[in-house]
Amino acid sequence: MELGLYLHYGPALVSGFAVTILCWIAGSLGGMVVGFAIASLQHWAGRPVRWLLQAYIEIIRGTPFMIQLFILYYGGPYVGVVLGPVEAGILSFVVYGSPYFSEIFRSGFESIPKGQIEAARCVGLGEGSIVRRIILPQMLVLITAPLTNFVIILSKETAILSVVTVPELLYQTQTMAAETFTYIEPYVALSLFYWLMVVATTWLGAKVEARVTRHLRRA
Amino acid sequence: MFISRDWKFGTVTFSFQTIFHNLPYLIGAARWTLLISGAGMAISIFLGIFVCAARISPGRGLRRAAALYISYFRGVPLLVQLLIFYYMLPSIGLNLPAIAAAILAVGMCSAAYTAEILRGALQAIPAGQTEAAHALGIAPFWLWARILVPQALRLGMPSLINELILLVKVSSLASVVGIGELTRVAQNITGETYRPLEIYISAAAIYFVINLVISVLGRIAERRLQVG
Amino acid sequence: MKPETLPADANDPIITVRHMTKHFADFEALHDINLDVHRSEVLCLIGRSGSGKSTLLRCLNFLEQYDGGEVRMGGQLIGWQDGPSPRKPLPAAALRDQRKNIGMVFQQFNLWPHYTALQNVVEALLRVKKLPRAEAQARAEAALQEVNLKEKADSYPASLSGGQQQRVAIARAIAMEPKLMLFDEPTSALDPELVGEVLNVMKKMAAEGMTMVVVTHEMGFAANVADRVAFLDSGRLVACVPPAEVFGTEPADPRIRAFLQTYRERNVV
Repeated sequence: MELGLYLHYGPALVSGFAVTILCWIAGSLGGMVVGFAIASLQHWAGRPVRWLLQAYIEIIRGTPFMIQLFILYYGGPYVGVVLGPVEAGILSFVVYGSPYFSEIFRSGFESIPKGQIEAARCVGLGEGSIVRRIILPQMLVLITAPLTNFVIILSKETAILSVVTVPELLYQTQTMAAETFTYIEPYVALSLFYWLMVVATTWLGAKVEARVTRHLRRA
Repeated sequence: MFISRDWKFGTVTFSFQTIFHNLPYLIGAARWTLLISGAGMAISIFLGIFVCAARISPGRGLRRAAALYISYFRGVPLLVQLLIFYYMLPSIGLNLPAIAAAILAVGMCSAAYTAEILRGALQAIPAGQTEAAHALGIAPFWLWARILVPQALRLGMPSLINELILLVKVSSLASVVGIGELTRVAQNITGETYRPLEIYISAAAIYFVINLVISVLGRIAERRLQVG
Repeated sequence: MKPETLPADANDPIITVRHMTKHFADFEALHDINLDVHRSEVLCLIGRSGSGKSTLLRCLNFLEQYDGGEVRMGGQLIGWQDGPSPRKPLPAAALRDQRKNIGMVFQQFNLWPHYTALQNVVEALLRVKKLPRAEAQARAEAALQEVNLKEKADSYPASLSGGQQQRVAIARAIAMEPKLMLFDEPTSALDPELVGEVLNVMKKMAAEGMTMVVVTHEMGFAANVADRVAFLDSGRLVACVPPAEVFGTEPADPRIRAFLQTYRERNVV
């Protein structure tokens, strides 16, 4: 191992890591928002909308992320959507993640017994309060673990963005490898960064889970 | 016929002709997609059984090794694993053809997930069945080969089908190391025709159809395998 | 019914238990158990749940590791290597050899659901006895005939009643031609109307001279079929006597009286 290499390429690797984190967090948050919207619509909208959303979910889940990314990045300009690599990366993450997130939210909605919602209506709670006060707090308990899991999966998919020249971690690593003809050093650094991300996410997920389940613990 | 002409929406054209001309090449390339995911799945199940067995074995060293295997292959992006197989193994004197590197990377990564699927399925098999085998003097090899693994594969079938669908999708990563599978061929055709939208949507449709067929066949197989 | 006088070789015990103890962490499940089971004898183990009777049974084929004392079959120590303490467990292959001679029937049947009744019986004949397939098949069919289930040979366990499943489990055990059969509450998981068919098979086996140790709550079976009845209480063997001494007259031990009282009360209702 030549540690001197890190002195030279360290800044590039760190900036790549920053881009990775940016795409990952922005993509995850966007995917969650869209996923929640899909799940809500599936719950309350009429049949044609539900049917369309289901088709969207199946199509996105049935095709590779890389192809979705290519359609957006390379195909976008042909329909007037011109995006930079990072924007295309984040947007494709939102598209790719939303059906998985929506399925997680849907399972959360479905886990709340109907009787509880009926009871809430009987005491005169509005639909908004029912979602905020009755459904959300309970479903958060169930969905935190699967959400964390999927966010971790997304963190690994960020590597694919290197293919469309997003200057993220893997891209910087490959540049370093190509310029120095070394493989061990760049990939060791790369593994460390990804490992850091997984550990941090797992830790954060556990924190969130502890917070949302506090009513289940004894005082 | 509608596929023989191009559709125009304002300034945007959608060329069905391009799709029509190139579909045969894309479908031909899908065979490599099937090969990578199929062979990857075979490795995944074969290796997954051993990783799972090691994961729950009484030997502490074996258990640790299996846990390490699982956490590595689940923790590092598959694309990185693939690049490591493709670029790093030659640097330690192991020269693999690109296709072998791709199949191995996909299979070994998936084995980590398969091992966990099987472990979950094994927990659903009542411990009494193992006890009955012990009481009859059945050796561990036969216990696994005849009683535990067949049932675990059946119980884990829905998840294993999902895993196969996942492999079809991740086989697209093999394009990065130059294998002429569906995604790579789509890239090449795009380079010649400058019609990325049409070509990539066609590729997406082929992936979708493959996965649809797998999930339908999987559901039929599941129903068939439910005994009694 | 069993003959009044035991056969000549009956005095020679098939299995002997000496000073056996068993702990689960701090809990003493079995305390200084001494017991002989003779050839062709039917021994019923009775007692409250938690008294240790199932644990005792499972120690006999080492499904539970007993910690102290000895269980011997034909002079051979079961499960442990003979030698000074701390003793080591037998190698897995040697333990399997011992278990070949001890059949076991479980409360939950424990059939393998992905095999037919016949395949369930054939499996061990092929893999353990290493019989050729045709012979294994023939012997399995004979064993199913023995429990009156020949016509269900090709059924999967899920399509059989509990009583039928348990009879397949018995066939699976007897096909191995064991010297000793262990029954762990074989009728406890069955609907009441299915208990009879299983007990009838067991009676037939007893009449044919099979050596059997039976953990049971069926006091009628214990009274009529057993040669001796062993009563356990809190991990101790309180009595091991002919059934008449337990069920016939008023038993001397207050623990046995109290135990039987609960049965009498239930039968009155």
